[in-house]
Amino acid sequence: MKKITEFVIKNSILIVITTIILTIISLYSIKQNVYIETDLDKYMPEDHPAFKYSDKAEEMFDIRDAIMIAIENKKGIYNYTTLKKIKSLTKELQKLDEIEDKDDILSLYTADNIIANEEGLEIERFFKKVPKTKEKLENLRKNVRNNEMIYRRLVSEDETASVIMAKIKDNSFSDSLYNEINSLASKYSGDGDKIYVAGQPIVEGMMGSLMPKDMQKMFPLVLLLILIVLFITLRSVKGTIITLLVVLISTVWTFGLMLFLGYPIYAITTLIPVMLIAIGVADGIHLYNHIMLQHHNNPDISKRNLIRDMIKEMWVPVMMTSVTTAIGFLSLLSSEVYPIKYFAVFTGLGVMFAMLLSLIFIPAMINIFGLSKIKAKKSGEQEFFKKHAKDFTDLVINHRKIWITLTVIVLLIFGYGISKVWINSSFLARFPSSNPIVETDKFVNDKFAGTTTINVILEGNKKDEFKDPVVLSLMDKMAKDIDVKYKEVGGSLSVNDFIKRMNKVLNEDRQKMYKIPDNKNLIAQYFLLYEMSGGSDRLWEVVDENFKTANLRFQLKTDNSKTLNSLIKSIESYKPEFKKLGVDLNFAGGGYKLLVFSDLILEGQIRSLFFSFIIVIILLSIMFKSIKTGLIGVIPITITTIISFGVLGLFNIPLETTTALISSIAIGIGIDYAVHFIDRYKKNALNTGDKYITVIKTMEHSGRAIAFNAVVVILGFLVLIFSEFKPNIALGAIVSLNMLTSFIGTVTIMLIIMYSTNLYFNKNK
Amino acid sequence: MKKMKLILMGIALLSLSQTSNIFAQTGKEIAFKVYNRPTAKDGESDMKMTLINKKGGKRIRNIHQFYKDYGKVEKKILFFKSPADVKNTSFMNWSYDDANKDDDQWLYLPALKKVKRISSSSKDNEFMGSDFTYADMEKRHPDEDVHKLLKSENLNGEDCWVVEAVPVDDDDMYSKKVAWISKSKLLPMKMDYYDEDGELLKILTINKIQKVGKYWVITDETMHNIQKNHKTNILISNMKVDQGLSDSKFTQRAMRKGL
Repeated sequence: MKKITEFVIKNSILIVITTIILTIISLYSIKQNVYIETDLDKYMPEDHPAFKYSDKAEEMFDIRDAIMIAIENKKGIYNYTTLKKIKSLTKELQKLDEIEDKDDILSLYTADNIIANEEGLEIERFFKKVPKTKEKLENLRKNVRNNEMIYRRLVSEDETASVIMAKIKDNSFSDSLYNEINSLASKYSGDGDKIYVAGQPIVEGMMGSLMPKDMQKMFPLVLLLILIVLFITLRSVKGTIITLLVVLISTVWTFGLMLFLGYPIYAITTLIPVMLIAIGVADGIHLYNHIMLQHHNNPDISKRNLIRDMIKEMWVPVMMTSVTTAIGFLSLLSSEVYPIKYFAVFTGLGVMFAMLLSLIFIPAMINIFGLSKIKAKKSGEQEFFKKHAKDFTDLVINHRKIWITLTVIVLLIFGYGISKVWINSSFLARFPSSNPIVETDKFVNDKFAGTTTINVILEGNKKDEFKDPVVLSLMDKMAKDIDVKYKEVGGSLSVNDFIKRMNKVLNEDRQKMYKIPDNKNLIAQYFLLYEMSGGSDRLWEVVDENFKTANLRFQLKTDNSKTLNSLIKSIESYKPEFKKLGVDLNFAGGGYKLLVFSDLILEGQIRSLFFSFIIVIILLSIMFKSIKTGLIGVIPITITTIISFGVLGLFNIPLETTTALISSIAIGIGIDYAVHFIDRYKKNALNTGDKYITVIKTMEHSGRAIAFNAVVVILGFLVLIFSEFKPNIALGAIVSLNMLTSFIGTVTIMLIIMYSTNLYFNKNK
Repeated sequence: MKKMKLILMGIALLSLSQTSNIFAQTGKEIAFKVYNRPTAKDGESDMKMTLINKKGGKRIRNIHQFYKDYGKVEKKILFFKSPADVKNTSFMNWSYDDANKDDDQWLYLPALKKVKRISSSSKDNEFMGSDFTYADMEKRHPDEDVHKLLKSENLNGEDCWVVEAVPVDDDDMYSKKVAWISKSKLLPMKMDYYDEDGELLKILTINKIQKVGKYWVITDETMHNIQKNHKTNILISNMKVDQGLSDSKFTQRAMRKGL
């Protein structure tokens, strides 16, 4: 390290120029290769059995989430203008590039009406020409009311709203499509009609674009605040700018390399700058803290010698903190989700860049631009810190029992909180209630069966399984039971609805015939009749052509994970009964995949949390050549992690992917504080041989730097609380909270334990 | 000299255009030739209909059919032999020469023991979930389209006219059809169907034409919907023609009675 430092001092200008050139190259690479991946499917591990199965079923039944466009007229939809709008809107939607097939638009205009006249079955449209006369309008209304497959599904119960469902091509959602649909919506609004746009593709699409957008808006604010607070604490313009430059340059390098290697930007990887800021400023703060203290205490030492001393004293903790942090992130490699792996690798790399820059670029810059002059006032300030460091230390070590008791109480409370943590993969819950999506989604859910779909795939082991009344009746029973049990379930659709409808209309429209007939051949003949009568391909969305596999579709009014999980459990309880009939029960569809996916992320997250604890203990033990130190070192991060999760439970904040991911920052940061503190404590212990002086000196030096670090990042990240996007609010709050608890944990309970266990003083005794 | 040459050329050109006027067929003439070709008065055969979905999955229906041409109306009756669950189901269709008159059709469901009328509000509907619409399977009067002879071409060893037919009716489900018509057999060998937007929708391929009695008959044909990638093959066997089938074969009573 000495040689490197000498090289840096001799070639400062060269180093700065090289850094600038590399940064320009990286910026060019970002500009050339920037690509943001918003498609959620790209996150899913394709080879996971649940996803594989779902993909297969999705293809078989053409399962795709639909955009829902609802039209509301408070006076009722059965008037010429509103119906005309439904027709025109349907036709305009059919022409969109994102729509593959005209049948992919389901509306009152395109839906089949299965009816029977005196002689036979008729499958026809509800209307082709928009009905004008009162009589025709009344007739349409009667037809809809009589059709269980349409009423309450496409037309609301109170007849004031009708919904158009548009299945878009896979992965074709874009901002421009959203804008196009919104402009269609506003075009058709008016004359007492109001248009609402909802549905999972909209929510997902908005998610994908809102998070990075919000981040783009909030990030400069975070930077600005950090800049200000950094200046207030460091009292040096140069120091502030150089410290921030380190963070920014390492971010640019990371993104430049990531994009150059062909990895797109995922919503998750937009968190990298946040992570690097929270972690990266620490190096600069500690280096400046050290050099300025030395400068203050020994004003006569030359600039170059100050630099030499800074690097000699600080390179070990800077490197240790960076390595532990990077390895903490690498534990996320155990995740099954690829973007999380990329996030882990590139954040780790960014941390290493920040370390490299801190140890080379910072001394080079100090060598070129010098240190800020020590103002007279500052001297008093130093005394002020000294005094407070001493007061605080006394407060801690003289009331050790109180601190320990407090810690135990806090841990018990938050530990209890952890047991209350619940997971929510709902996307909708992440939007502020003022977002138009929340309002439209609520409207569509209130009026219709629901915007969330769960597909239950029933797979028989022979052809024509789903013409068998026994199998069909069990399916019908399950659908009814679930519908009754869950108020969130707005309805279901399956091959049974077709059978019951045909059975009813072919039996003189008698309501009591709205049931599954117990004759297999009759059911088969109904379907022949259906096909012969020009029944549409929509039948193949609920059963395959061989009637071997069926898709029972539940529509829900919420995408809340608690409800979804409970629903899935209830449905799964029918598995044995179906198994007896030789029918397998599984799930498919976007909603289900998302649920599995979130579980995967969280599972992986918790697993990697354990890994990183173990790795960090081992690393610290090696670095400090003592397992005891390793164990003491993880105390702050243990406390931080418990409180971090406990807060979620106590305040009923659901754990979701972003919140879970952020918890890994707890380790990254918390461990840095501990390493700096222990390293300084060790140095002081060996120099002074006096425990009390060691503690005081450590507090003056590292304690101060940690406090600066915590204050800077906490204030910077608190800005995110004003974000529009709930996960970003959570991000800000959690990062701030983790900073605070890590800091307090380090300077109180960890210090007490070091002090009480006579760490580094054993040999002396 | 120059003048002479020009005059000679002019004469040559004139005579050339005249000969083509004399011998060439117009699209319309070809269409009428096909429409008016000799066909059997009645007949019966086995029919195997295979529906093939895009994953290659097959559904097979075995049917026995009878038909009789009454001049102004053509009557057809189909009895399902398999699959087992629709065995003895029968279907009857009366198709009228008058283009304004809708077909009459019925389905007898043995499990319900009832004959049900099927509305034929649209001939654009697919026949039994196949890739053929009702209209595709029926004779179409040449006046319903504007025909244009595009060229003559040899298709699989068969000398064909290539005729384009554009429907007179704007609301027709096809914007255009192009047929390769065998000059010797007066039957299509291949047909391309274009959808409303002018995009190729379906291709009909004739795999086999056989002589039954004195008539050429298509006995193996495949309709491929290339937009849905779904295929239907129809295979005709054991065909008998001009047996003088009784009128009572084409009644609801006959439907109930079965084969």
